[in-house]
Amino acid sequence: MGAGLRLVAAGAMLAATTAWGQAVEGRDLFTRADKGGCIACHQLPPGSGPVVRADVGPRLDAARLQGWDRARLRALLEDPTRANPGTVMPPYGRHRLLEAGEIERLVDFLHALR
Amino acid sequence: MRFAELRLPVALLLAAVLPLPALAGAEDVRRDITSRMAAQFPGLSPADLAGGSAAFDAGRRAEAERNAPGPGAAEAIEAGQRIWKRKFANGRSLAGCFPNGGRRIAAAYPHYDRRVKRLVTLETAVNQCLKTHGEPLLDAGDPDTMGAVLAYLRTLSQGRKIAISVSSPQAEARFEEGRRLYFTRMGQRNYACASCHLNHAGRFFGDTAIPAPVGSAAQWPHLREGRPMTLQMRVRECLERMGAAAFPAGSDDLAHLDYFLSYLSNGIEIRPNAWRAPLAPGHW
Ligand code: HEC
Ligand code: HEC
Repeated sequence: MGAGLRLVAAGAMLAATTAWGQAVEGRDLFTRADKGGCIACHQLPPGSGPVVRADVGPRLDAARLQGWDRARLRALLEDPTRANPGTVMPPYGRHRLLEAGEIERLVDFLHALR
Repeated sequence: MRFAELRLPVALLLAAVLPLPALAGAEDVRRDITSRMAAQFPGLSPADLAGGSAAFDAGRRAEAERNAPGPGAAEAIEAGQRIWKRKFANGRSLAGCFPNGGRRIAAAYPHYDRRVKRLVTLETAVNQCLKTHGEPLLDAGDPDTMGAVLAYLRTLSQGRKIAISVSSPQAEARFEEGRRLYFTRMGQRNYACASCHLNHAGRFFGDTAIPAPVGSAAQWPHLREGRPMTLQMRVRECLERMGAAAFPAGSDDLAHLDYFLSYLSNGIEIRPNAWRAPLAPGHW
């Protein structure tokens, strides 16, 4: 690996935002670029969020989310490379892009779509 | 959103290289990726793919055509020409460092220079000339100076077909380093360049279609909000959005990526100073 290949690990940003005690709602976690930024890749059912053309990942609607119980969703958000090593979807838990509580709120949000 | 808060170089994350079949060399890699794009986008030629997002997005394409040449292109070319012709303290100039004053040279950059045992990008060549003549160097990350010079210099090669050579084991090693970087996951979001540009080319990331790897070295500098952005400047922006500390402007890492991407554009005509959409919040 080249000496210039300096990579970034997690932490400081999350510490800063949670210290302010801001509860970011599931939908915000889904849309905000500095949080999940899921909306960059996934469309939502009409009325559940902003309308985007994103199609890197599947549209997340009731049909798509059938069979996704809480544990499976949690595991996916923690680290989708476990199920699919080549996936483009970020490992939100493993790379501490989101903390455990935020992942729970996203799971709530996804469940409400079903 | 600039993701500034994500750029803390805290630690080295385990970097996984996405699977890529073992190939014999640069030309095999180029053919493999080019035929993959041709199979995926049978209606689009390599020259179409050079349009970036616009290749996959009729709205963007119409906007790009309305904005051709990129607003600000004439000013950038003129500013670059002034720097190019300016007399150094010793009476020489940038124009004097290059054959034919720099005409018809850009298509062969970057190239591997056996003498200095390094990749020479256009940026490196410009700064090498300045250094030789005791002049202050240009910042390879600055659109208004290096960007403008390259807007002018690449205009002198407008319409020429990109013809990057990888013709020695040393050159192959540099190409391979660029390829390796392109396929390596980097930064907090765990993306490799290839995760998006190869595996999801043409898909919409937010509201922007992801440009293909083939052709992406043909149209730079890109004019964005009137400023000339080089290939390397764009790569640094993608790195920042990946949550990685971007390689420094002018670094060998960027030169390797530049070499790799430019080689993938071989045979495509140089059309510099093309319009690109402004960066909106959350936009790539
Ligand atoms: C850069 C693109 C990208 C981002 C960002 C992204 N995903 Fe995904 N997601 C994918 C892709 C691609 C798949 C398809 C499965 C795979 O690649 O393994 C997927 C699959 C899923 C699935 C499973 C759906 C199915 O039926 O296969 C869920 C649920 C999901 N993502 C939720 C999320 C959430 C929630 C976020 C944000 C916290 C998110 N994704 C961010 C690309 C992304
Ligand atoms: C998560 C997705 C993603 C990743 C990862 C990514 N890019 Fe990009 N890149 C984009 C998008 C989207 C654009 C288009 C921006 C626009 O036109 O507004 C782009 C634009 C570019 C362009 C300009 C193409 C053109 O003609 O307009 C180049 C060159 C480029 N990226 C190279 C890279 C390199 C090299 C890497 C890795 C170091 C990388 N990108 C990582 C999404 C990504």
